[in-house]
Amino acid sequence: MNPDLQHIIQSKEAERRRLRALPWLEKLEILNRLRERHLSLQRMQPRRVSR
Amino acid sequence: MKETLAIVEQLNATGVIGSYAVGGAVGAAFYLEPVATLDVDIFVLFEAAPLILTLTPIYEACAKLGYLAEGDAIQIEGWPVQFLPASQPLLAEAVREAVTREADGLTTRVMTAEHLMAIALQTGRAKDHARLVMFVEAGIADMDRLRDILARHSLLDAWAKFENRFLQP
Repeated sequence: MNPDLQHIIQSKEAERRRLRALPWLEKLEILNRLRERHLSLQRMQPRRVSR
Repeated sequence: MKETLAIVEQLNATGVIGSYAVGGAVGAAFYLEPVATLDVDIFVLFEAAPLILTLTPIYEACAKLGYLAEGDAIQIEGWPVQFLPASQPLLAEAVREAVTREADGLTTRVMTAEHLMAIALQTGRAKDHARLVMFVEAGIADMDRLRDILARHSLLDAWAKFENRFLQP
C-alpha cells in the first residue's frame, strides 16, 4: 500500500478510537454538534424546484 | 441531548412510560464513535399490552410539559424523539435487558451493544449494515452473547449472510 495512504488510514483509525473512548456525556455533545452542522448544511442547499 | 434524555427519564419516573431504552444511532453512540443523526429512538415496553397499542398518553403528557408533536416525533429540548413500542420479541428483550448509565446527575437506559447489533441486522438497511460493521471493527461486543441473541430470534442465517457480504477480506 502507498505509505501516504497508509498514514491517512492509520490517522483516521486513531481518531475513531479516540472518539469511541470518550465518556458518553461528551459523545452526546458531539451528537448535538453533528446534528446542528447537518441542519445548517441542509439550510444552505438551494431548494429543488419540483416540476 | 442531555436535557432530552433527562425528560425521557422523567417520563419514566412519573409513570408516563414504562421500561424504556435508547436505541438507534444515539444508542450506538454510547459504544461507538458518534455518527450524525437527526432524531432519538426511544423504545418503550408496554408491560400489560392493551389490545390496541397507543402512544396517545405519551403525546398528551409531553404536550402538557410543552413538548409538541411534529410529524411522527415529539420535539423535546431541541431533538425530535420517536417513541416506538417494543412490541416485537427482540425489541422487548432489548428493553428488558438494557443497561442503566449514570453520569453528572443524568440517568438513562441504553440497549446493550449486542442487542443494538441484532436489531441492526434484523432491520437490515444500508445504514444498519454500516453500523454493524462499526460494531464488529470496534471489537466491543461479546460475540457469544450476540450469537445467543441471534439464535433466539432466528437471525443466524441473516448473520451468516452479513458476514459473507461485509466481513470477508
